[in-house]
Amino acid sequence: MRFANNFPYGRAPFWLLVIAVVSVIVRVATAHRPEARPDLVMVTHTEAQFDAYRKAIPRFEREHGVKVQLQFANWASLQARLQNAILADTEVPDLSEVLEGALGFFTRGPIEDFGLLDLTDRLHADGLDQRLVQSRLSVWSARGRVYALPHDVHPVMLAYRRDLVEALGIDVSKLDTWDKFVEVGRQVSRDLNGDGIVDRYMLDMRYDGNWTLQILMFQQGGQLFDQQGDVAFATEETAQLIRWYIEQVRGPHRIGYECGWGQPVVKAMTDGLVLFQWAPDWRSWVLANEAPDLAGKMALMPMPAWTPGGRRTSTWGGTGLMIMKQTRHPELAWQLAKYLYFDTADLGERFRATNILPALRDAWKLPEFDAPFPYYSNQRIGRMYADLAPETPPVYSSPVDEAARTGLDRAFNRSAAYYAQHGEAGLLDAIRANLAEAAEDVRRLAGREKILAKGKP
Amino acid sequence: MNILQMLLLALFVVYVGFRLLGRRRVASRFARWTLLTLGAVVVLAPFAWLLSAVFKDRSVLNEYIFLPPVGLWSEKTLNLNNFRELFKARPSLTGPVYFWEYVLNSTVYATCTTVFQIFFCSLGGYALAKYEFRGKKALTLFMLGSMMIPGVLLLAPLYKMVVDLGLVDSLAGLIIPGMVGTYGIFLFRQACLAVPNEMIDAARLDGCGEFGIYLRLVMPLVRPMAAAFCLVCFLGNWNAFFVPNVFLHSQDKLTLPVVLNLYLGEFRQDQGVFLAGTTLAMIPPAVLFFALQKEFISGLTSGAVKG
Amino acid sequence: MINSVAQRPSRPQGRPRYKGKAPYVFLSPYVVLTAVFFAVPFFNAIMLAFYETNGPRSRAFVGLANFVFLFRDSTFRRALLNTTVFALVSVFLQLPLSMALALLLNAGAARVKGFFRLVFFSPNLVGQVLVGILFSVLFTPRYGLVNRGFQLVLHWGLETRWLSDPRFIMPAIVLASLWLWVGFNMIYFLAALQTVDKTLQEAARIDGANPWQIFWHVTLPSMRHVVVFVVIMSVIGSYQLFELPLTLLSESYGFGANDAGLTLITYLNYRAFRAGDLGLGSAVGWVVAVIIFFISLIQIRLGRVAEED
Repeated sequence: MRFANNFPYGRAPFWLLVIAVVSVIVRVATAHRPEARPDLVMVTHTEAQFDAYRKAIPRFEREHGVKVQLQFANWASLQARLQNAILADTEVPDLSEVLEGALGFFTRGPIEDFGLLDLTDRLHADGLDQRLVQSRLSVWSARGRVYALPHDVHPVMLAYRRDLVEALGIDVSKLDTWDKFVEVGRQVSRDLNGDGIVDRYMLDMRYDGNWTLQILMFQQGGQLFDQQGDVAFATEETAQLIRWYIEQVRGPHRIGYECGWGQPVVKAMTDGLVLFQWAPDWRSWVLANEAPDLAGKMALMPMPAWTPGGRRTSTWGGTGLMIMKQTRHPELAWQLAKYLYFDTADLGERFRATNILPALRDAWKLPEFDAPFPYYSNQRIGRMYADLAPETPPVYSSPVDEAARTGLDRAFNRSAAYYAQHGEAGLLDAIRANLAEAAEDVRRLAGREKILAKGKP
Repeated sequence: MNILQMLLLALFVVYVGFRLLGRRRVASRFARWTLLTLGAVVVLAPFAWLLSAVFKDRSVLNEYIFLPPVGLWSEKTLNLNNFRELFKARPSLTGPVYFWEYVLNSTVYATCTTVFQIFFCSLGGYALAKYEFRGKKALTLFMLGSMMIPGVLLLAPLYKMVVDLGLVDSLAGLIIPGMVGTYGIFLFRQACLAVPNEMIDAARLDGCGEFGIYLRLVMPLVRPMAAAFCLVCFLGNWNAFFVPNVFLHSQDKLTLPVVLNLYLGEFRQDQGVFLAGTTLAMIPPAVLFFALQKEFISGLTSGAVKG
Repeated sequence: MINSVAQRPSRPQGRPRYKGKAPYVFLSPYVVLTAVFFAVPFFNAIMLAFYETNGPRSRAFVGLANFVFLFRDSTFRRALLNTTVFALVSVFLQLPLSMALALLLNAGAARVKGFFRLVFFSPNLVGQVLVGILFSVLFTPRYGLVNRGFQLVLHWGLETRWLSDPRFIMPAIVLASLWLWVGFNMIYFLAALQTVDKTLQEAARIDGANPWQIFWHVTLPSMRHVVVFVVIMSVIGSYQLFELPLTLLSESYGFGANDAGLTLITYLNYRAFRAGDLGLGSAVGWVVAVIIFFISLIQIRLGRVAEED
């Protein structure tokens, strides 16, 4: 201790120095070595997929004699870290799953900067681009090239309380357009016990637009961006859609009510507070799991179309698989990606476990897709989703996707606020103005992206 | 009217009572200490909550504010599950990472930066205080000006430079740019000014080298300031978030604030886990502060009060 | 190398000019490190603000387009507004609280004073990130400590959605910042109070001034330097508020509902390090630097005015 006391700078700096030296030695001794890395590292962020791949990977490892490590990571923490690591040339996984709408995040700037392997030629060489649902390739493309493999299609249907709907004498086969749906909805959505509060609504609709609005917009053929990456949501159709939507969710004869997520949805469906619910393939499984008491009482129907004979489905969400350009084994990674996504042997079982329709059309011939589903009144929901799948609308990606969705929400909320104050008078003009303003904001950002995309290194 | 409100009302009544009885001085002393105690309770309440929360099971986290009455305690009330979950290995690209590694990273970063800063800033501060040399005025002006520039302005180009130098995603890349700072130099300059020139002259006449004078004569005389600076620098780096968050990418290199921020998103359903991490992260600063309280307070305020 | 007495120029005071290399050697680490890690990035920051970049990789020259973009971007304007509001609130709410605490504490005995000083300062020890993480849980609707506390004392606020209702997001940030910084500023004020001349205060009291008048006309003016210093430090710190709102509103990267929690630096962080445009980040950095520069100018002016008194 004498040494500590005699240290010129004093005791505290002395001990800090000691701790500093010791900790550096320990850190260097225990540092992670990059050679300890397995041949391939893949990251996923959905539990269901994590379980499915964990079962499938050992066979791949045996067949190719390699070591593959599968990791689970939270998507929000993964997204920015991954892109920053790509741009700074630090360690990245070999493969990573990615959520719909996020591809643009990774395909920013000039093509040389993209951290992802261009899969277009490989898809073409294996003939896969013909065997996948065409519209899904749009979700995972940037500048005309494909950068991720589509995991799913996610066609959207409506799930409904078959028992309650039949008791009301409604024939769902007649609800093939939104006009008819709304007409019936108005009769259904009312105050049943005279206390002034509406006790039954026709459809679950987000109060602030958000994903419900987007589903309907895509169904109409509307887009956030067009194929060239230009902002495309400030159209007359979208304005009319917003007006229609405000009417259904805020108007005096509204048919929509926001149920939220999880327990509140179960309660709403069980109590009959809401008769119809949004059911893309993944959600049909979620609903069945969260509300098991409704087994046999539920059924699915295609979405009503906007025009007679029009598109009866839309799409919501999606997962893709990207391969990093930095990977040391690109061919092996490609084999793994194809194996996990397109090896038909497993796809039937995965459908049974998650209800998710794969993007590979060949897989739909498997028997699991024709199995009756007791929860949904023994409907062959696999077949129903598969029949709708070719009609799912494309969704074009952009680096400013996040800003576009926020902008659309903002335009909607402003328009709804206008409606609350002024009613129908001038509403459509207000909507057009709000849309144009939001689009202008996003266009400014997208314009910056265009400059960068041309840019020089 | 619950107990808390009745208590507050009673305190108020006592105060009014004192004033009405004409005992104004007692009244104001009573009011002063009551207010201070209430303030202290409010300030300490989040800490108390934190300490009780980290030992609770996630299913009972929100049942009682602090702890249930003793009779209702179960193994769910006080257990170490949160810490067990916290210490579990997490996957990374180069093998599993454990919580102690984050603590180690933070320790290396904070202590090394502080040690370097003490050395370089004291050298620079002493030079500014006790020497006249060509360019001193210009250098001092430059230092003053540089203090006015917010660090955030330099972060983006500094990041790019660190990437280009290959130092990104490493603790060295964090420590090296932070090895010296003008704040420290001015602090040490202030302290060194107080050293009598006669002592230095005498030492020179004795044949002591310049560095020897600095190390063996002056530094021991400014130990209080060195201790205060130690604390300030260590605290600043232990709690630093922005720069480490930008510079570090790999899971095994992260420091505590960065990791805890990540856990905030990952453990949204299981808040006890990152709260446990937060509690552990608070310990080293608290320990150091207890040891260096006096020096810290006097060092912190000497710059402001003397102007 | 030895200071030669014979060469000393005749000056009434001051150090003899030292002829030797020692100061240069001693200051060389600072100079080298500053040149590399401060001066170079500083000049790069000037240049970078006129570019648009893709992280540290490609970039494209855009001239003043970054600044034009900021000027037009409603999100940036909102960030500017939020940050200014926060700065004003910290001066007019936080500092008076610190001052009040310091006044209350000043009259006490040394040991008790030490204890309370430690208590009130303790939140500042743990850093903005940990405070933000802690408070993000304390603000839980219905169950959080803050909600329950308000309900117990004021019969209000159990269901307040502090972190998701746009009306309450800024108040939530203010509350957390009060907890964090009131003690910190209190220490400065306490130290300054020690230096106030007690005889002046006594004289005023004898003249019949009430406590408030004594404070406003005697105590406060004597603490002028420190008060100005603390105010300026507080405002400059407020304009750089970042980690607290980021951790409180971590789900939306610090934006909050309707951008209610957005500050200049969280905006910068999003644009530069999440969306990847380092050039735009530099431009925002410049805006912040200019604002701080003007505030520092004001401090220098006020400082000079104070000295002339």
